[in-house]
Amino acid sequence: MPTLIIDNQSVTVPEGTNVLEAAQQLGIVVPHFCYHEALGAVGACRLCAMLFIDGPVKGMQMSCMVEAKDGMVVSTEAPEAVAYRGQVIEWLMLNHPHDCPVCDEGGECQLQDMTVASGHSVRRYTGKKRTYLNQDLGPFIHHEMNRCIQCYRCVRTYQDYCGGTDYGVLGSNQRLYFGRFQDGPLESPFAGNLIDLCPTGVLTNKPYRFTSRFWDLQEAPSVCPHCSLGCATIPGARFRELQRVRSGNNPEINGCFICDRGRFGYDYVNHSDRPRTPLLHGEEIPWNEALETLLQRLTKLIECHGSDSIALLGSGRASLEANYLLQRLSEQLGSAAPVYGSHAGRDRAARAATTLPTELSASLADVRNSDLILLTGADPLAEGPMLALAIRQAVRNGGRVMICDPRPVELPCSTEYLACQPQELLQLLSALSLGETLPTKLQPLVEALQLAQRPVLIGGGDLLGAEGTTALLAAAQKLNSEDRSCLAMVLLPEANSFGAALLAADGPDFEQLLADMASGRIKALVCLEADPLTDCPDRQQLLQGLEQLDFLAVFDHLPSLIAAKADLLLPTTALAEGAGTLINNEGRMQAFAPVFSPGQPLRITSQGNHPPRSFSTTTPGALPCQAWALLAKLCDLPVDLAKIRRELATQEPRLAGLPDLLAEGSGQRIQSADKPLSQPHALITEQVDALQLLACETLYGSEVLSAHSSPLDPVRPQPYLLLHELDADRLGIAAGDLVRLSAGEIQLTLPAQLSDRMAAGVVIVPHLRRTELESFYPGQPSQPCRVEKVSAL
Amino acid sequence: MSQLLFKNRRPNHTVLLDEYRQNGGYQGLEKALRELQPAQIRDEVKASGLRGRGGAGFSTGLKWSFFPFDAPGDKYLVCNGDEMEPGTFKDRALLEADPHQLVEGMVLSAYALNITTGYIFLRYAYDQCYANLQRAIAEAKQAGLLGRNILGSDFSFELHVHRSAGRYICGEETALLNGLEGKRPNPRSKPPFPAIKGLFAKPTVLNNIETLANIPHIVNGGAQWFSDLALTEEGAGTKLYGLAGHLNNRGCVELPMGVTIGELVEEHGGGVWQGRKFKACLPGGASTPYLTAAHLDVAMDYVPLEAVKTRLGTGGLVVFDDQTCMVAATLNLMRFFARESCGWCTPCRDGLPMVCWVLEKIESGQGTVDDVAMLRELLGHINGRSFCALALGAMGPVDGLLRLFEEEVLDHVKKGRCPLPRNSSLKES
Amino acid sequence: MAELLSAEEIIELKGQIAAVHEPRELIIEVLQAVQKSHGWVPDAGVKLAAELLGLSPLQVDEVATFYDKIYRSPVGRKVIHVCDSICCWTRGTELVYRHLQQVLGIVPGETTSDGCFTLLPTCCLGACDKSPAMRIGDRLYGELTVERVNTILADERQETEA
Ligand SMILES: Cc1cc2nc3c(=O)[nH]c(=O)nc-3n(C[C@H](O)[C@H](O)[C@H](O)COP(=O)(O)O)c2cc1C
Ligand code: SF4
Ligand code: SF4
Ligand code: SF4
Ligand code: FES
Ligand code: FES
Repeated sequence: MPTLIIDNQSVTVPEGTNVLEAAQQLGIVVPHFCYHEALGAVGACRLCAMLFIDGPVKGMQMSCMVEAKDGMVVSTEAPEAVAYRGQVIEWLMLNHPHDCPVCDEGGECQLQDMTVASGHSVRRYTGKKRTYLNQDLGPFIHHEMNRCIQCYRCVRTYQDYCGGTDYGVLGSNQRLYFGRFQDGPLESPFAGNLIDLCPTGVLTNKPYRFTSRFWDLQEAPSVCPHCSLGCATIPGARFRELQRVRSGNNPEINGCFICDRGRFGYDYVNHSDRPRTPLLHGEEIPWNEALETLLQRLTKLIECHGSDSIALLGSGRASLEANYLLQRLSEQLGSAAPVYGSHAGRDRAARAATTLPTELSASLADVRNSDLILLTGADPLAEGPMLALAIRQAVRNGGRVMICDPRPVELPCSTEYLACQPQELLQLLSALSLGETLPTKLQPLVEALQLAQRPVLIGGGDLLGAEGTTALLAAAQKLNSEDRSCLAMVLLPEANSFGAALLAADGPDFEQLLADMASGRIKALVCLEADPLTDCPDRQQLLQGLEQLDFLAVFDHLPSLIAAKADLLLPTTALAEGAGTLINNEGRMQAFAPVFSPGQPLRITSQGNHPPRSFSTTTPGALPCQAWALLAKLCDLPVDLAKIRRELATQEPRLAGLPDLLAEGSGQRIQSADKPLSQPHALITEQVDALQLLACETLYGSEVLSAHSSPLDPVRPQPYLLLHELDADRLGIAAGDLVRLSAGEIQLTLPAQLSDRMAAGVVIVPHLRRTELESFYPGQPSQPCRVEKVSAL
Repeated sequence: MSQLLFKNRRPNHTVLLDEYRQNGGYQGLEKALRELQPAQIRDEVKASGLRGRGGAGFSTGLKWSFFPFDAPGDKYLVCNGDEMEPGTFKDRALLEADPHQLVEGMVLSAYALNITTGYIFLRYAYDQCYANLQRAIAEAKQAGLLGRNILGSDFSFELHVHRSAGRYICGEETALLNGLEGKRPNPRSKPPFPAIKGLFAKPTVLNNIETLANIPHIVNGGAQWFSDLALTEEGAGTKLYGLAGHLNNRGCVELPMGVTIGELVEEHGGGVWQGRKFKACLPGGASTPYLTAAHLDVAMDYVPLEAVKTRLGTGGLVVFDDQTCMVAATLNLMRFFARESCGWCTPCRDGLPMVCWVLEKIESGQGTVDDVAMLRELLGHINGRSFCALALGAMGPVDGLLRLFEEEVLDHVKKGRCPLPRNSSLKES
Repeated sequence: MAELLSAEEIIELKGQIAAVHEPRELIIEVLQAVQKSHGWVPDAGVKLAAELLGLSPLQVDEVATFYDKIYRSPVGRKVIHVCDSICCWTRGTELVYRHLQQVLGIVPGETTSDGCFTLLPTCCLGACDKSPAMRIGDRLYGELTVERVNTILADERQETEA
């Protein structure tokens, strides 16, 4: 740990820290561009100069390129360093268009900040400025090359960090161009990070273009709700509209990056059909009446039909606190414990995931640091996109990735792929956990696992189910030893799937609830930010059950199918409008705070024109309330989040850290369960002959919140069906052919796509919400199906 | 006078294998493989005092001593044949005349350094050199002097020629490695030095064509003999000097290291053309600060030239007559460097164009005293601040201009026009 | 894209690519081959190179656009590169350059209306002993004077017409 002196202050930093970072530790920020904490130092901008007065190097040096060493004495304020840095800014500004007034970066522009910080104010150069033509980079990013300062950060972000190959740097000398080969949408699902990483206004957020000035935004640190990883985000809102999301920084999870689903999935918050007023049978009613009605109706039904006629349904979308209060409500009503999740398979897999001891749970930081990653039934880009980026970093550091999956799992890095049937995955994991020998095709995997120092086993709850998940955790425990840790990670469907599963404990699941509904025993159903109509795979039985209800109450902020059927609709706030806690897939609790208050976006109320001239004392559309607050009222508890958290922490010892949680910071792991992990049993699988249909998550089409976000419309895939080339050959199907898929009752005509990088005998359809493929739900065992050619391409 | 590199050189003639061998070619290699240990060759090269001929003048023996020759795995020898510094054409002359010297030099160097693969990085425009090398390599392979089990020994060496599309920055050794790997030829940061992490991230030795071509002669004649060839105390060997600019006779000559500028100009260059006077010169290519008539007795060797604040560089002497405007000449040079900047770092990419702009202003008579001060300021800010040595070299002429021709610069400001007849470089931008 | 390179040329290049350490190494060779047969490297040529080398078109273009001798926009049948570096400057390259512009009726960067010549500057050609120098296609010309330029142009033009 070297100690050095910078501007007469002493600082001790870890080995390998550069002097620019060391200065930052002292709160001294020296202007810089090409250095970025996530991208490292490359010494290109030559701005971060300091004067090295004593120590192993002397003279003026670029501080980002000098490793901090004992005995260094450094000045950031030496006149020659200050003058030089001003000169660099003058150079960078030679060709700059000075169009800050119309630049979206204005106010949050590192070039503005560094220009002011460097003291440069007069440009002596009066020659011609170099100008560029811009490119169309697709729906997410606007390009304005004239503002470029050639710091190369975008290339390093896009190519090196994110693994994209379609954006880069062209030309040489002063005629550099940062862009694509030709106009066209950026291919990487992490392209949006260019917006955050470009220090100037070259690459700005296209959907957000000319919407607000940075300083007018309401921003607060938050957590991404679009998958179970829980990346740190900073949503920004103005005029009651959520206008954009940028990446926060959680070193344990996402670092400084987020995926494009997380960045552009926000618009569900502004959805014009979003429920905004309490409705009883479609009629607006005041909140107090709505809550009273709910309690009255439930009490009445209990009086007539007994307390087991009431069912409460929580979800992985709702916060931990709201889900918990649903439990309190059930206790108060004397009804059965709530069911968590409208999909029993997913619920059970999530419950299995919660049994992993905390010390064996892998964070994304652990993944980045791993030397061997084994993916079994996990498709990161679809089920937790930032995991894909974390894996890429592991590979960049020399790590190895092995994929066992029936699907053609693609990652932005080199991988070794082994096509496996879903059943084979279970066999593999249970063999690993029991220390049994593996089939020869998996031998390379065994060898790699033996050699690895920091292996991480990653599984997807959807494909593995509860059984496979249990086997995965047991395998990690088996492979974990004194000498080297073997960690595990399970991808879950929703941002708080883990939290909901934790509360579910040994409670009933949705299958039981369905049976009870079908039997007519259930008279009232209360849904908390849950939509069984889209999430329950057994649609038929559900519809029958719903018909037998006397009362359906729905708390939600999405214009969901079930909300449309509700007798009583209770509009809730979206994540960015409220506070609460989510538990991500590794068991990390993360608190979030409100970013803004709900209300009809001005854009909608005024059709984008001047604000309406009819005035009222209330804000239009401001009625949605935080679900936990509504539930607290229903339970007659004080509307006090801190109190609720304290109570929850005493109820559930694994949540002990909850009351101390801050909305900033990197969150806190829950405590390990005191039960030992359950052991999987050896699995015997039967041979199957028929084609097996597997529904799978996709990057943009499956997650329910982002499915309601218009900025993602241009990138949502069209329905298709994926077949192995061998199967296609046998069936006389060519790529692009229209085929008929028959599975159970359902028949659909879809275009066929082919791959040779998948398990043969498996047919894959993407789970695409709001399309005809919506009813094919992931998280189910595969089902037999038939595929026939209808017509050629 | 001893001629080593040019001893077989005749106009419009390329030496083939037979002729090369008749005149002692490949004897050094035979001797080495027969009776010399690699370490002996390394020691000999170190003792010879040979310094790199590519421009930086780093001691070849010392460079080799950093090379982990006993490290396992692939290691590479790369020959730098980019040669794009204006005023430099010695490597071309050498390859056009006697290409086997380079092949033999590389085999010997590879043997000394325990390397089995070599690359010659050659600019595309040198087609004649490429053809010569191809033929030399084929001949050498045929004769068992290159390839597997050279001359029946257990030493093998493969040699490839890589052609570059040509950019001055490709001559910078780490940019060259990127170029060779098919990447954008931006320089890499050092450390790690190529000796540790070079081509394909493996240990790599890089040397200039002329440097490598000297190795057979050192092995043949011995370190002491080589060292004694120089006219200066600390110098060693001979040097291929370029003669260009306002001279009566231009060309490339091999002379003992350390001849004086005056001798080069008068005896070998036939004096300044059109009976004019010597005003200034670039002693060793475009990146070396000027010298004036006061320096005609300075020896063309590394140390003496450094003593007068310039460098031997590539040894390409470019002479300017007394009608030359030094502002215009400097502007021409700066335009070259600005255009050849790779675009990686700010002082070079944006600083050099700004220098061009100030020089244009001064040359066109629009300059002010402040502009001259700005030029001086830019010199201070660019020198030593860039990522690689290109911008440092680029400022050599500006440094010379402000040190030796300040009055001429100020005269432009005072008169509001260029005071000299040859000022026309402006009209082509 | 077949017309950019013949089937034989593609086989030849594929063989070379298979023999090197990393396909990328041959990026300049492949681009030069396209340029040789097509005069310049159109977008389709970049794509072809990308395909042969297992790279994305952008990755090829990043390298291609670095070099001024890889033409990414159309040029005439012959490209004239006039050296404008210091030795040629001392020997009147500006006169030559200006003369070329006059007789060809174009400014640097342009192509003559008959599609015969494109005029471009170049940095030092390594022919400083014969300055002023220029290259037309693969041919190097030194010791240029206005008269010599006229004969050279006539010969070169005649050759393209033949
Ligand atoms: C901008 C720049 C251009 C260079 N061009 C060449 C060149 O064309 N040929 C060359 O041999 N060395 C060139 N060098 C020097 C090389 O970086 C390197 O020092 C040299 O090739 C090492 O070989 P040597 O020690 O035998 O001289 C150049 C250096 C710089 C900074
Ligand atoms: S586009 Fe932005 S990130 Fe990329 S080089 Fe230019 S300023 Fe830097
Ligand atoms: S990876 Fe998941 S949590 Fe992270 S930004 Fe993307 S959708 Fe959000
Ligand atoms: S000094 Fe900088 S811009 Fe110039 S060539 Fe070197 S790295 Fe490139
Ligand atoms: S931040 Fe140090 S050189 Fe750019
Ligand atoms: S300067 Fe023109 S060829 Fe060297």
